[in-house]
Amino acid sequence: MVRLELFYRLMVRPLLHEPVRLALMVLAVALGVAVVLAIDLAGSAAAGSFHSSMETLSGDNDLEIVASGGVPESILATLATQPFPLRLSPRMEDFAVDLRTQETLPLIGLDLIAEGRRYATRRSTLQDTSLEKLTGEESARMLEDPQSIWVSAGLGKKPGEHLSFLINDQVRDCIVRGVFPDTSANGHAVLMDIAGAQRALNRFGRVDRILLKLPPDGNLDEWQERLRGVLPAGIEVRPQGTGTEENRKMLEAFRWNLRLLSYIALVVGAFLIYNTISVSVVRRRNEIGIVRALGASRTDVVAAFLGEAAGLGLAGGLLGLPLGRVMADGAVKLMGATVESLYVSSRPGAIELTPHSVALALAIGIGVATFSAFSPACEAMQVSPTDAMAQGRREYLAQMHKGRDLAIALVLAVLGALAAKAPAIAGKPLFGYLAVLLLIVAAAYAIPAFVYIVSRIAAKSLEELFGVEALLASRSLAASLRRTSVLVGALATAVAMVVSVGIMVGSFRQTVVNWMNNQLPADLYVRPAGSPAADRHPTLSPELLEKIRTLPGVAQVDRLRAYEISYDGMPVTLAAVDLTARRARRQSDFFSGRPASEVLEQLRGKNNVIVSEPFTYKHHVKTGDTITLSLGAARAYFRIVDVHYDYGSERGYILMDREVLLKFLPDAAPTNLAIFVAPGANAEEVHREILAAAAGHRILIFSDREIRAEAVRIFDRTFAITYALEAVAVIVAVMGIAGALLALVIDRRRELGLLRFLGAASRQIQKMILVEAGLLGLLANLAGFILGYFLSLILIFVINKQSFGWTIRFHWPVEVLLGALTVVYTATVVAGLYPASIAVRLNPLEVIHEE
Amino acid sequence: MAILSLQSVCKEYSTDGQSVRALENVSLDVAEGEFVALVGRSGCGKSTLLHLAGAMDFPTFGTVSIEGLATSGLSDAQQTALRREKVGFIFQSFQLLHTLTVQENVELPLLLAGKPGALEIALERLHWVELDGLGERYPHQLSGGQMQRVAIARALVHSPRILLADEPTGNLDTTTGTVILDLLLRLTRERKTATIMATHSHEAAAVADTLVVLRDGRIAEVTRR
Repeated sequence: MVRLELFYRLMVRPLLHEPVRLALMVLAVALGVAVVLAIDLAGSAAAGSFHSSMETLSGDNDLEIVASGGVPESILATLATQPFPLRLSPRMEDFAVDLRTQETLPLIGLDLIAEGRRYATRRSTLQDTSLEKLTGEESARMLEDPQSIWVSAGLGKKPGEHLSFLINDQVRDCIVRGVFPDTSANGHAVLMDIAGAQRALNRFGRVDRILLKLPPDGNLDEWQERLRGVLPAGIEVRPQGTGTEENRKMLEAFRWNLRLLSYIALVVGAFLIYNTISVSVVRRRNEIGIVRALGASRTDVVAAFLGEAAGLGLAGGLLGLPLGRVMADGAVKLMGATVESLYVSSRPGAIELTPHSVALALAIGIGVATFSAFSPACEAMQVSPTDAMAQGRREYLAQMHKGRDLAIALVLAVLGALAAKAPAIAGKPLFGYLAVLLLIVAAAYAIPAFVYIVSRIAAKSLEELFGVEALLASRSLAASLRRTSVLVGALATAVAMVVSVGIMVGSFRQTVVNWMNNQLPADLYVRPAGSPAADRHPTLSPELLEKIRTLPGVAQVDRLRAYEISYDGMPVTLAAVDLTARRARRQSDFFSGRPASEVLEQLRGKNNVIVSEPFTYKHHVKTGDTITLSLGAARAYFRIVDVHYDYGSERGYILMDREVLLKFLPDAAPTNLAIFVAPGANAEEVHREILAAAAGHRILIFSDREIRAEAVRIFDRTFAITYALEAVAVIVAVMGIAGALLALVIDRRRELGLLRFLGAASRQIQKMILVEAGLLGLLANLAGFILGYFLSLILIFVINKQSFGWTIRFHWPVEVLLGALTVVYTATVVAGLYPASIAVRLNPLEVIHEE
Repeated sequence: MAILSLQSVCKEYSTDGQSVRALENVSLDVAEGEFVALVGRSGCGKSTLLHLAGAMDFPTFGTVSIEGLATSGLSDAQQTALRREKVGFIFQSFQLLHTLTVQENVELPLLLAGKPGALEIALERLHWVELDGLGERYPHQLSGGQMQRVAIARALVHSPRILLADEPTGNLDTTTGTVILDLLLRLTRERKTATIMATHSHEAAAVADTLVVLRDGRIAEVTRR
């Protein structure tokens, strides 16, 4: 208790005398903790605990039977005739767009008659969903009506009400027959009888999945083997929910990379805590000497400063908890949009602030703060009582070992470069992350020498440009090299994050734009209306295609059909295209460097495929290898004839001749159309003709320019969360600068008072502080830019490559970088305004006679 | 005519609601070339009188005039101009900027005022105080006496009419202190400044032309030699 009282008087109370500075420090820590917590919570919700939309109403089944392009209905008969007491639940699974809200909902088709019979015996998939038992005449009438649907309660509809949906390219008016409750397992969804769903989706003779409930005895693996023995080779038997697990694994890399970015804000906060405690040690040197002379041990001194840091960390952690929870709401929306665009249709799980999350936030706050304070606390421990008291309150200039630190920096940088060369571990770029950390630490060690050299070189020029105030500012910064270096290090880390991510995103963007310029040879593109997603491929009606073909302004229409399939335990997009001469004229990027016409010709009529770069990376295949695909009921071998650069999706892409695919999956409906306008015809006129021909169908038509713009818009949206993380890191750093400048003003109040005695005007004092802020910003921008460049190389060529498999070509996004660096610099100078106003308000009479 | 004139000056401070009168009805004229020593116990108002004389602070009642110009009611810019042109300060603890060299410390007031030729003038002032050749050193490389000489050179760099010294020998040994006092006296005569020195030291008081004894904020005695 006595110790706590002493701690309060000696450590806490002085902090409370500087409430603004204290608030800034706590807030900086809080923001760092909040960001890490928000990304962790949002990541769990959007990518970790998400449920594939297609798991809605899947009940408690054990196995699922799937096949690329759908499971033939004959398989149901095969299973039904097996001498095993299996419960079969065939399903149609697709999406429907609620035209009221434009929300895309899972559309599930179930055999409601069979489910109704099972309901009474509590063996139905629909058990505990409160759906009415579907038996009896009234139910039979409802089931026969193709407009009948059952909806989740969250859609806010009652039985008898109407709802209109867009299913593929058709609008369907439906009548709500019943409502089932939303639960964590069953989100918003639309349910139909399976026959009605097949009609609505225009898919007959196949179902998307068959769920199986096994007898209570029996081993899951044994049952899978048994069933595989009776089913065709192309049909896959696997545990239910495997699809969701596959997607979760795929999302791990995405989550990890966001985590890494969120930690940057924490690293910046760590610098600031280090600075705060270092300043505290310097200021209290005399007091440390006194308490040591009065009997305090070295351990007491270390404990006091670590306690101060832990207190800041605890306060920051506690404040970061609600902040992080609020930020998680925004983050989950941004991440959810990215997951939808690039990965899989899903609904995020609930954001749960569990005891584990709370403990994590507090541990991070206290842990980072205490770790950062360790070195200055040890320094405080070394203070000799007689030395400290004899020197009075004169500032102790800590020895800076610039040469030694520079050598350490070089060693760390070399280690970082070596780490960057190492391969991924279990698909994660762990050595890449290590390389990033090593470079950041290397920069921290190099910054004192950097500040010293740049200050020396620039001092004279600064004085000539900005006057004596700049001379005083630069000398002051150089004289307190340790403090200056830590501040520059903090801001430089944030700047490096902005620069590295800016270069990475800018390079990625330019690579994608260049790639699209090569990929889109047609004049117009048509697809069904509704929001696209990585795993949704609504189809166009075949009769629409024929109408468009006969339009006078249309020279040619190429079809593309895409399917979501599973390959080697990971989701992949399988696509098939018409191999026409016009398509072959495009300039495509193939690994072989061959022209598109030559490569595409190899696909014609043969079991040959082209795969995308991410596919080769994920599945470790290359040109010349053979892959086995399950298509419908068959398994077939396909040879990879080339690899192409593809940035449409991280999932991986397999492309084959449409005629070949139709042999296995005879569904002729295309996913989208590429339209080549006839020579001399006007593209806009053709656009209008197509719209007219498509009356009754909901479609979207894009010119090649519009499709590129749409793709870029989706691209930019996927990085929204990255930009948000960068902004937080910069805010943390700038707040730290403001707090540190305030401390500088307070610590130099005698000097500032003296200047007033010597004839300095108020505005000159203000200018001096602002020039100091500007110098800090300039040094940080320079150091951050250099560090950011090297980090961008790791992000582009190591982390991104090992995480996702994409080749990104380096590109300087000059405008973005200039804009970002200008904003950071301006924010730093603005951060100096408040400390400058404090400096101006100091009473020179009071401060000069304080001693 | 007096360069510096205090007429019936009172100075009150308010601290935590309590009013403290630091100076009471002080009247004093100082002519050019006159060396005035202010003596008295700690807290008698010596520093307060110096601050009023240098227009760093303003009387509650009465008038302080520098070359006939009343300091009360001056704007911040006018006060700054006054300090740049007419007043020089010397402190007990030297108050040099450790981040600047000796020569840079001396030229600082001219740089702040934007006056040209600061370097040449600074070197000349260093010559006045017999510190030629030490311009590139830093304060921590000097002795106490040398630092105080630098402070004196700085105070004189803009040729002020009034020199205000607050215990200039307080942190020096006796021998060095004597040297500093002699220097101050010589410069006062040569440059015809009006020097007012607050001091506890009898030796310091002995060199002055005029001895002003302050007691409890009032002038108890004025002795002119």
